[in-house]
Amino acid sequence: MGEWTSYRLSDFILFSETVYYRQFELYNQTIWPLHGVVMLLMLLIIYTIWKRPIWSGRVISGILVVSWIWVAWAFLYQRFYQIHVVADLYALGFVLQAGLLTKYGVIKNRLTLHTTRQPWASIGKGVLFFALLFYPFIALIADRSWMQFEMFALAPDPTVLTTLAILLMYKTPKVLYIIPVIWVIISGVTLFVM
Amino acid sequence: MVNQYDRSRRRFLQILALATGAGFGGLVSSGSTRASSATLLTKPIPSSNERLPVIGLGSSLTFNVGNDPLGLDNVAEVMRNFFNLGGKLIDSSPMYGSSQPAIGYGLTKLGKTKSVFAADKVWTWNHSAGSEQMEQSRQYWQVDAFDLMQVHNLVAWQDHLKTLASMKQQGKLRYVGITTSHGRNHEQLEQIMKTQSLDFVQFSYNILDREVEERLLPLAAKQGIAVIINRPFQRGELIDALKDKPLPEWAKTIGCKSWPQFLLKFVVSHPAVTCTIPATTQVAHIKENMVAGMSPLPDAATRARMISYVEKIL
Repeated sequence: MGEWTSYRLSDFILFSETVYYRQFELYNQTIWPLHGVVMLLMLLIIYTIWKRPIWSGRVISGILVVSWIWVAWAFLYQRFYQIHVVADLYALGFVLQAGLLTKYGVIKNRLTLHTTRQPWASIGKGVLFFALLFYPFIALIADRSWMQFEMFALAPDPTVLTTLAILLMYKTPKVLYIIPVIWVIISGVTLFVM
Repeated sequence: MVNQYDRSRRRFLQILALATGAGFGGLVSSGSTRASSATLLTKPIPSSNERLPVIGLGSSLTFNVGNDPLGLDNVAEVMRNFFNLGGKLIDSSPMYGSSQPAIGYGLTKLGKTKSVFAADKVWTWNHSAGSEQMEQSRQYWQVDAFDLMQVHNLVAWQDHLKTLASMKQQGKLRYVGITTSHGRNHEQLEQIMKTQSLDFVQFSYNILDREVEERLLPLAAKQGIAVIINRPFQRGELIDALKDKPLPEWAKTIGCKSWPQFLLKFVVSHPAVTCTIPATTQVAHIKENMVAGMSPLPDAATRARMISYVEKIL
């Protein structure tokens, strides 16, 4: 197994930028009009955080659980695997995160909102705004086909960023940060090397 | 398209004028290279004397398009131009994502499953999985058998070479090879070349990375091993670095009209190099690359001049 050390990071990114973003275009065409449902979920998250009902932690956790499982199955396992040999492992990681969110968020109800004055909550709100409302327009801003947009609950990156944002706004077990942070590193490196 | 990558819920979990001139007959020039002015040059595989065009086609990165219909048709179009201009050898690996099924799609669409020189690799640390992997690769390519099977990056090479030797003996493949890239494991590769029965060896070589000129290329010539060169453009980095630099006026004397042609002519003009396998997603690039494999090629003095010029401007 020592041969692994002779590989460079770029050896494992064996797809072009064009092909990578084309996956999102084909994916969006396939799952349309699911995007409408996701927009309702996004509104529900914003409403819940704004109104701070007592059930907010469980509901938001539930939405995140469904999102992580959907991305694992529909994008990573079904679509991304076609061009990336380790997408199966990525999908497994997403399922694990869904499991953790189920345990700590849905079952144990361990997500409690910070007070709005806390700095982490403010950073979380900023990241949430970026992930939910700005991220889908990045394809257009980058002068790619608008059909290559990436949305929360449907594509990995905005889903992970939204999750991190919510974790920052809530008091949560630290174990929930591990997989999202690992994904940010993996995705960041992939986008950089690509 | 074959649906190899459709995944069940249960598991969830590719010089128009030159095209008509493409072929392998031609005039005999000095040394072992044979060509006419508009014909792709060929060199012999030492173990059989079968001749291969000096420009092949790589598939790393470029052919990994998943099941995208547009991507697959583009791969087929690149392959169509490659074959029309006299190309023959295509190289792939199980490591290159969906490149193998994409090649199979193109070969079937173009009716070239019988005439392609199919070069693939076995890439698994688990020796017992090697045979299954090679059969899966063959099915992806949609060919009867591979012409060349190589051990990818020296992975589990002792066991895989035994399997490949046995397959060659049984007529399941014609040539056995081993590969590395990026200058990895050259000392080990040298030992393997000295002690094992190989038809082909594949490694990286380009106008800046010339370490293999010292030992591996001379050794291949001495041992009678055909040499496939990967990464002739340093995975595109060389072209990016040179694209805004002026091509020297004297490049015209060796038939170069662009930097990619300059770089490819340098590689394939080494006497020990059999062919190189640049990869591309663009038809214009494949036409440009194939012209690099046509006469004239630089002689030793011109090669030295090429190195000097590139090192001076970079």
